[in-house]
Amino acid sequence: MASSKFQAFWNHPAGPKTIHFWAPTFKWCLNVANVADFVKPPEEISYPQQLALGCSGLIWARYSMVITPKNWNLFSVSSALAVTCTYQISRKIRYAR
Amino acid sequence: MSSAFKAFLNSPVGPKTTHFWGPVSNWGIILASVADTQKPPEMISGNMTGVLCVYSALFVRFAWMVRPRNYFLMVTHSCNECVQLYQLSRWARLQGFLGKKKEPEAQE
Repeated sequence: MASSKFQAFWNHPAGPKTIHFWAPTFKWCLNVANVADFVKPPEEISYPQQLALGCSGLIWARYSMVITPKNWNLFSVSSALAVTCTYQISRKIRYAR
Repeated sequence: MSSAFKAFLNSPVGPKTTHFWGPVSNWGIILASVADTQKPPEMISGNMTGVLCVYSALFVRFAWMVRPRNYFLMVTHSCNECVQLYQLSRWARLQGFLGKKKEPEAQE
């Protein structure tokens, strides 16, 4: 049973043999990079970059719920990106005070 | 002219759809990075820039393969790839990864 479910996943038209899987999956590395940068000194954070990434995260979170089929992977990674970017921006604002 | 514009307005990847506005939001990332090219390279995050390079390469392919095919997204990520590679080279030069060319000159 498990192997037939795995086969269904493996051979899915948006599965791991296709770019439809890897492009949104790799987007998680943007969040990993941002979390790794939580220890960077706040003066090295770029306001424009974090604002742009955060806004695009919010818009893509909406986009992923409007397309057919709904893309929960893209929704979750985009929402997480908005959160990590917001935190980075808050670090820099707190430092500037 | 107006029929071409109407065709654009009513296109399945046109401005009445999210297939258009998603890539528009991605242009913010590119413009932010272009602004950051004027800042000192010490401010560049190697982590984020390296990941953005791979990310945009993957999404160029994604935009080509997705249906409906999204040329706007493809162009957006191609441009981002160029800016991120430039930023990565600035970061790499600062780290000393691109310093090898000076050696032959020193030997002369």
